[in-house]
Amino acid sequence: MKKENIRYSDAVAEIEKILKKINSPEADIDTIGADVKRATDLINLCKTKIRKAEAEIEKALAD
Amino acid sequence: MPEPLTLSQLQCLINEGIEGAHPLPYWVAAEVGEAKLHSASGHFYMELVEKGGDNHVPKAKVRACIYKSEYKKVNPYFLLVTGSGITAGMKIMAKANVTYHELYGLSLKVIDIEPSYTLGDMERQRQETIRRLEEDGIFDMNSDLELPAVIQKIAVISSADAAGYQDFMQEITAGSYNFRITLFEAFMQGEAAEESVISALESIAVSVDEYDVVVIIRGGGSQSDLGCFNSYRLCCNVAQFPLPVLTGIGHDKDSSVADMVARLSLKTPTAVAVFLKERMADFESELDSALSRLATYTRSAILSEREKIRGLGIDLNFRTSGRLRAEGEMLERISVRLDFAYKSFLRTQSVLFEELANNVSLSGRLFISNSLGHLRHKESLISAYDPRRILERGYSVVRHNGSVLKDYGEVAPGDDIEIENKDNFIEAKINSIR
Repeated sequence: MKKENIRYSDAVAEIEKILKKINSPEADIDTIGADVKRATDLINLCKTKIRKAEAEIEKALAD
Repeated sequence: MPEPLTLSQLQCLINEGIEGAHPLPYWVAAEVGEAKLHSASGHFYMELVEKGGDNHVPKAKVRACIYKSEYKKVNPYFLLVTGSGITAGMKIMAKANVTYHELYGLSLKVIDIEPSYTLGDMERQRQETIRRLEEDGIFDMNSDLELPAVIQKIAVISSADAAGYQDFMQEITAGSYNFRITLFEAFMQGEAAEESVISALESIAVSVDEYDVVVIIRGGGSQSDLGCFNSYRLCCNVAQFPLPVLTGIGHDKDSSVADMVARLSLKTPTAVAVFLKERMADFESELDSALSRLATYTRSAILSEREKIRGLGIDLNFRTSGRLRAEGEMLERISVRLDFAYKSFLRTQSVLFEELANNVSLSGRLFISNSLGHLRHKESLISAYDPRRILERGYSVVRHNGSVLKDYGEVAPGDDIEIENKDNFIEAKINSIR
């Protein structure tokens, strides 16, 4: 996954947008694969961010 | 020329006149202008004044003295009732004899003092100070100041050798907290106290940013005068001081006005030190609790974000598969329809082909039968030309040398010819040609 400099909240917003798009009847089956890939990437990115934040917090709290 | 009196004779006359005119003691009310115990003699000397003259000059003034023998009786009772010795600025009600001394002139010989008068006056002064501070709108100014959460830099007003200061230092240095204490020395009792405390406050005010609070302490055992802590000027300074003021003036009676206007008043210097340490401990435990709240909050925030992302993942998966399933079902329907359409097309086509084939075979047969007809016709035509048929009809074929003789010019009488009829070959000789 490309290292992306996107804010967590923006990522979540984009995921929700993609979900909405996928769910709409106008969804294009040609792009749904790319959309799902994008959403999955973003979800992984968010997970990484959460893990990183958690690690930082636990480290800070341990000090 | 009259005989002059000596000075002492005159003084003696005055003495007789004065003392003769005032044989009994008077109760007199006056303010103590100056007061001093003469340690060698044990006599207590005062200057009594009545204020209210023009240009701050007293209306009246007189020297007064309490002799040692009287002082030993008067002073303890005065102390007991008022909580204070006789000091300058006090109003007293004294029982005094008017005396006149050849050397020292007029003075009052005080034989008794009514301490409740002074007490009443002190209370009046106290009330007056309170009234003035309230009127000025400054009574609550210091009380309204916020105590800093962390009090570390402390300006102390006290006298260095006072027991109260020692108590304070002993208490505050015992423990793990690090306070920075700066002592501003001041007289804490006596006439100079008021001015001295005010000037200490002024010294602190110069570098007010370097301190968190001001602590005014004094104390120890002695029941000494608190008059200066009720004075308007001192209390006015305390009330308006930009830093919170903590007092530990150490007394059992009613609190002084300085205690009332200070941000916080405690009974003793030790109590002030204990308070400062406890406040530090409170702050420390607040920090600990804030840290643990922070930990709880951030952990729960992380947890909730993780749940949210997980939910989004599930949602994505669900919606995507749902969507794909829907697409798949649609494709399935389309393919069924396609299949059907295709088969029905094929069926139609095969019927057409069959018809076509039938047509083809029909016309083929027709064609063949036509052709056969033609052929037969042709055959019959052809057979009509068959020489055998011609022979059967009675005709003969004449040949000469194996060839059919069509031109009789080629032969001459006497040549051998061959005649074929229906049944026979006949060999003949040409007799003549005509």
